[in-house]
Amino acid sequence: MNQNEPVIRVKDLVVSFGAFRAVDGVSFDVRRGEIFGFLGANGAGKTTTIRTICGILNPSSGSVEVDGHDISSSTAVLKPHIGYMSQKFTLYPDLTVRENLYFAGSLYGMTPKQIAERSHKLMDFIGLSEELPDPVSHLSGGVKQMAALASSLLHDPELVFLDEPTAGTSPQTRASFWALIRRLAERGKTVFVTTHYMDEAEYCGRIALMERGKIVAMGTPAELKKKFFPVKPLELSFTKPVQHAVRQALEKAGIASAVFGATLRVRAPERAELERVIAPFQDGVSVQEAEPTLEDVFLQAVSGRKAV
Amino acid sequence: MNFSWRRARSVALKEYKHILRDPFTLLVTLVLPLVFVGFFGFVIDLDYKHMRVYVRDNDQTSVSRRFLQEAASSGYFDLKPIHGQFQLDQALERNDSPALLVIRRGFGKNVRAGNPENPGEIQLLSDGTDNVQASIMGSYMQGVVQKANAVFAKDNPDLTDAAAGAGERIRSRFLFNPELNSRWFIVPALSTIIIGFLAIVLTALTVAKEWENGSMELLLSTPVRPSEIVLGKLVPYFLLTFFDVLVVFLLAIYVFQIPFLGSFLFYMVACWVYITGALALGLVISVVTRQQQASIQFAFAVGLLPSFIFSGFIFPIENMPAFFQYFTALFPQRWFLLISRTVFLSDAAPATLATALGAIVVFASAMILLAVHKFKTDVEP
Repeated sequence: MNQNEPVIRVKDLVVSFGAFRAVDGVSFDVRRGEIFGFLGANGAGKTTTIRTICGILNPSSGSVEVDGHDISSSTAVLKPHIGYMSQKFTLYPDLTVRENLYFAGSLYGMTPKQIAERSHKLMDFIGLSEELPDPVSHLSGGVKQMAALASSLLHDPELVFLDEPTAGTSPQTRASFWALIRRLAERGKTVFVTTHYMDEAEYCGRIALMERGKIVAMGTPAELKKKFFPVKPLELSFTKPVQHAVRQALEKAGIASAVFGATLRVRAPERAELERVIAPFQDGVSVQEAEPTLEDVFLQAVSGRKAV
Repeated sequence: MNFSWRRARSVALKEYKHILRDPFTLLVTLVLPLVFVGFFGFVIDLDYKHMRVYVRDNDQTSVSRRFLQEAASSGYFDLKPIHGQFQLDQALERNDSPALLVIRRGFGKNVRAGNPENPGEIQLLSDGTDNVQASIMGSYMQGVVQKANAVFAKDNPDLTDAAAGAGERIRSRFLFNPELNSRWFIVPALSTIIIGFLAIVLTALTVAKEWENGSMELLLSTPVRPSEIVLGKLVPYFLLTFFDVLVVFLLAIYVFQIPFLGSFLFYMVACWVYITGALALGLVISVVTRQQQASIQFAFAVGLLPSFIFSGFIFPIENMPAFFQYFTALFPQRWFLLISRTVFLSDAAPATLATALGAIVVFASAMILLAVHKFKTDVEP
């Protein structure tokens, strides 16, 4: 198969629950071997989109094609090629990690020997001992997440869907998750991941920003930064405690600012205006150009839409 | 999209582990049958004996005394003679007896005369607030009357045949359970109640639990099919429930000494079918409600209630209004109860129970199909 050929094609997807449109006319392609990130607030429609592609929710209208098969009519053909890690913890709390893995693997038709070999490799990579004797409910949050990930990767799926895999885990766990995700992509697996963490989104090949059931921006991180910040944003740092006063002055002048640690960030095109507003605080403020982060992009994309 | 035995087996093995690790399920399954058997087998005794009966003998002849002797020796009655209005009022006030027996003046004379137009009469006034006891007492007294009639006829060979037969209008014999021993009647029926309740509750929780803890989402994203999940969940609970049936069976035979006259094989087949139907009904409830709390409420409503009320366990079906007689036919409990009691107490050929077996086969098949058909394969709320 061609590397650049889309493996997932979503076209005008609408998923409604009663009168509520959780996904409201979404279209995108995901290419084979890509790490595709889905960003957005809770309730933006990320999970609903993922569940629909995995074949456990039915589209209200529009189409989802995976590997050339329509998902609604070919779920049975596609399911063996899909690995899904839900946002909810879905392992059985009263079974051990090994028992959970054994169960998941056997549903995919793997033999006990295959399961043992494969889980050994996975656990080794994840850095988890498969000999954990306790039921899963006794394990810590990070270990549980790792076990859930292992369970969704056990059958070596072509397409991996991870719904907020790193939510509530430690920075070390997040780092090893992403190391694993990158390695999956290197092996030609397609990884579709949702996250809350903007810094994680930087690892994605392409990202889509979702807001209220719609995709408001899509592209590589660099493309998005360029698109929303043709001129780099400005960062105000303070040498005197005037941050609050400056913020109020900016607000009065209608210039949106965002607190960023000890600094304030402001969109660049308003530079002339900005200089005028901060003139009274001159000796307490310095202005320099900053690299836009995906967080800036997200805020920009969302506020831009709201303004319309 | 083929059914996979391997996947069904995986589900069954997983379910088996859940059972082993859930002390509550194990406790309920192992203890509940013992509680039921203990309660219904030992504590509740529907055989009324030594019922206190106040007696007012206004006749005071050798015949009336002979009659009372007959009643006392039956063992069912504790006769307490009362004299005069004062004692009668006291007895009524104490309200400690279900009945009052009055022998009219002239009873002895009439009996001796043996005139069918003018027989000796006794009056039994019983407390209708306990209608079960009242009717049992009525029929026991009927028996005493018959026996007394026979005695009088022997004592008085001058009586014509017609006169001697005057008191023998009612003639009933209880086949298979000649003593109408209520344990013989109740204990074989206990399996009906235990399966009809326990099996439904056990499976009613299983699918709902998967929905509530999120594991259903994982299941649905794998290639496993509803029919495989349904079968996989039936098997372990089937074994568990069948174990209970065997326990109750052995208690019935060895502890309660109840005869088992019918075909053991037929009884076992009927048990298997009935257990399967009850478990599948639990699954249907679970699949439809997808919530443990709602499931358990439904399970009580369709498991416990019909097991007692519509099965014939408490209220005999024959005494129900016509509509309810047909209505009870919808419940497998009714059919299995019939099978249970029949195979224990009579050696009737299995063919006579073909309708009952057919009914539970139909029920079990329908429930399995419904559970598979209603199984939701997407996570839409």
